[in-house]
Amino acid sequence: MSDDLKVPGFKASELISRVSETFSGLSDTDKAAQIKKVNGVFQLQVTNEAKEVANWTIDLKKTGTVYKGEAKPKADVTIILSDDTLTDLASGKLNGQKAFMTGKLKTKGNMMLATKLDGVLKVQPKAKL
Amino acid sequence: MESLISGAECAVPFNPLSQVLKHTEGDRSLQQDRVAGPSSARLHQLPGSSTAGATQHDLALARQFFESGPSVGPGFGAPNPAELARLHELSGRPLSEANEGWIMEQQHLMRAFESNGAWANEFGAGKSAALSQAPQTAGPEYHQRPYMSSAGQFGGPMQMPMGMGMYGGGMFPAQMQPGNGKGKSREADFEAAFAQVVAAHAQEPAETSRIVEVQDDTAALEDALEKTKLDDEDGSKSEFKRVWDTLQNSDLPPPQEDMAKWEAEFNQLMTSQRDDLDYDYGGAMKSAWEGGIGDFSDDTSALKWDQDGIPILGEYVFEPNNKYLGPEHSALAEAKMLLEQNGALSEAALLLEAAIQKGDLGEGGYEAWILLGETRSMDEREDAAMRALAEGVKRAEAAGAPGVGMLSLAISYTNESMDRASHAMLLRWIRSRFPSHPIPEETIAAIATNAAWDTHQRLTEVYLGLARSQHSRGEMDADVQIALGILFYTNSEYDRAKDCFETALSARPTDFLLWNRLGSSLSNGSHPEEALGAYREALQLRPTYTRAIYNVGVACKKKRLEHFLSALALQESTGAETSEQLWFTLRRAFATMERPDLVAMTQPESRASLDAFRRQGFEF
Repeated sequence: MSDDLKVPGFKASELISRVSETFSGLSDTDKAAQIKKVNGVFQLQVTNEAKEVANWTIDLKKTGTVYKGEAKPKADVTIILSDDTLTDLASGKLNGQKAFMTGKLKTKGNMMLATKLDGVLKVQPKAKL
Repeated sequence: MESLISGAECAVPFNPLSQVLKHTEGDRSLQQDRVAGPSSARLHQLPGSSTAGATQHDLALARQFFESGPSVGPGFGAPNPAELARLHELSGRPLSEANEGWIMEQQHLMRAFESNGAWANEFGAGKSAALSQAPQTAGPEYHQRPYMSSAGQFGGPMQMPMGMGMYGGGMFPAQMQPGNGKGKSREADFEAAFAQVVAAHAQEPAETSRIVEVQDDTAALEDALEKTKLDDEDGSKSEFKRVWDTLQNSDLPPPQEDMAKWEAEFNQLMTSQRDDLDYDYGGAMKSAWEGGIGDFSDDTSALKWDQDGIPILGEYVFEPNNKYLGPEHSALAEAKMLLEQNGALSEAALLLEAAIQKGDLGEGGYEAWILLGETRSMDEREDAAMRALAEGVKRAEAAGAPGVGMLSLAISYTNESMDRASHAMLLRWIRSRFPSHPIPEETIAAIATNAAWDTHQRLTEVYLGLARSQHSRGEMDADVQIALGILFYTNSEYDRAKDCFETALSARPTDFLLWNRLGSSLSNGSHPEEALGAYREALQLRPTYTRAIYNVGVACKKKRLEHFLSALALQESTGAETSEQLWFTLRRAFATMERPDLVAMTQPESRASLDAFRRQGFEF
C-alpha cells in the first residue's frame, strides 16, 4: 500500500509513506481525534532537485488518509515547497514559520491550516510541557 | 521501558495509584540506569546536578539571551492573500495598505454624497415632480432650477475628491453635448459611460478587483452607478437629470434589459480579471471561514473555534460515581493536602471535582477549577485540563483576578498544537498582568485575524520588550520567562525555550512543572540525555508526575536508538564491518515501535547507508 505512495526521485516519498502508515496504525478514535483537531485537506506540491513536481494529499478532514496526486475534490490548502524543505520540516530542522518567511514554503488557500502542517508531518512522539 | 511508556499512556482508571507508583519505580531504575550508563559524563552539566553552578550558568545564559536581541527583524508583516479573505477583515478592516487608500476614498465620496441632504431633498422632490409629468416632455428648463441651486452646495465636496480623472474622464465630453431630449441616444451615452466606469473600475490595482469580487457583485454595481451620477452632476447637470428620469421614471424600453446587459458586461470584465489572477477568492474565503473561524458545514464532529482561535470544548465532564461526593469529605482541603503529599493525581482530581460539584470552589470561586485543570494536565489528560482551566480562567476574570491560570491554559493549548489559542491566551495574560506595558494595536488585532506564524512573531516581540525592560531594572519575572519559553517552544525554537525555563528555574528551583518544561524543551530540541536529568529533578520533587514519566519514555525511546545508530556509524567510519548484533538490537527496537518500514531498513539486503536513518529524524 505504501509503495503506491512513492514517487521515484523524491526523498519525501519515505516521509509520506511513514505519515500514511502512522494514520493507518491509528485506532479509529485516535484518528477521529486527529481529524477533529486538524480538519483540513492538505495538498503538498513538491519539487525535487531535478525540477520534477509531485503531489500528495493528506486528508485530515473526512477519511484520515494519504494519497498520491492532487486533492479530490479540492484541497483546503496547497503547500508548495521543495523536496528538501519538506524533509527538513518533518525532521524538525526547519519549522513552518521560518520556511514561510524565507520563501521556502508557499501556500495557496487557507493559511491557517498550513500552520498545522508541522504537527501533521511529525510522527515522532513529542515531549510535552 | 516500553511497558513504562504504554503504561503511562493508558493508566488503568480504577487503580491509578498503584499504576503510577509502579511506573515511578520503573522510571527510577531506568534513570539510574541512564545515569550510570555511558552518558553520565554529560549529565553532570545539567543544572540539577549542581545548583550553584547552574545558577551561574543561568545568569550567563540570561545575560547572553537578553543582550543578543531577537534574530528576526520587524519587517515581517505582509499578509498573505488567504489571510485577507478572513471574515473580520472583510467587515470593515483594511485589506492592505493599497486598498486602504481606495476604501478611504470610497467612503469619503459616499459621505460627501450623502451629506448633501439638502440636495438630496431637492432631488427627491424633483424626481417625484417628474413622476407626475410625462417624461418625454420634461424640458431642460425644469431641471435647471434644482441643479443650479444645488451647484453651490456641491462645489466644495465635489471638486476635491472626484477629480473626474479616475472614473469619469472619458465620459465627460460626451455628456457635455447639449441635450436634445432624445432619450434613446442619451441612454446609449449613459451605457457607454457606464462601460467606461466599469472598465476603469476593473483596471484598479489587482487588489481592488479582488475586493469587488468577494463583496456582493450588485453592491459593486450600485457603487459604480452612484459614481456615475456624481460625475454627471459635475458635468452636464441637466443632462444627467434627463437621463436619470428617462431611465428611472419613464415607460421607455424597460431598463431591466439594460441592467441585465450591464451586469453581464460587468461580470464578464470581472470574470476575465478573475481568470488573470487565477485565484478563487470565494473558495479561499469559504475555507477560511470553515477552517479558521468555525465550521458550519455538515461536518459537526469538527472542533469549533472562537474568533481568537480558542477551541470551544464545552463543559467539563465530571467523573460519574465520585466516591468523594459524600458529606464526610471536605474535598478541596483534602485535595490540596493530597497534592502536597505527592498523592495520586487522579485521586486529587476526583477530590477537586467533588469540591466543585459541592460548590466548594476555594478562593474567588476559581481556585478549585484551576487546580483541577493543572492536576489534569500533570496527569496527562489534556482535554479535561483545558476545559477545567478555561472555566477557571473565566471565573478568575469575573472575580477580578485576571491572568490567573492563563499560563497553564496556554501550555495546554501548546501541547495540543493549538498555537493560535496559545498565543491568544498569552496576549490576554500579558495584558492583564502588565496593563501598563505597551502593546501595539496591530498585535492585538492580529490575534483575531492572522495565522499563528504572524502572531508568534508579534507576541515574541512584545514579550521580549517586557523581559528586557525588566532586565534593565534588575528584575526577573519567572512567569514572563515561562511565557517566553512557551512562545519559543510553539515555534520549535527549543534552545531558546530551554534558556527561558532555566532562567525561570533560577528563581523557582523547586518548581517541578518547570523542570519538566525544561526537560521537554531539551528532549524536543534533540538533547534527550540532558532532558532526562531535568525529568529526574521533576520526579524527585513530585514522583507522581505522570507527564514527566511519559516524557522520559519519549526521550528514552529515541535516544536509545540513536545510541545504537551512533555505534554503527562509528563502526562504519573505521571501515570495519558493522556489527550484526547491533543491527539485530536495532531491528528489534524498531519492531517494538511498530515501525516495519524501519525494520526493513535494517535488513542486510536493504542497508544502504546510515544516512537513511538520519533522514528519518534520528540524530547521531
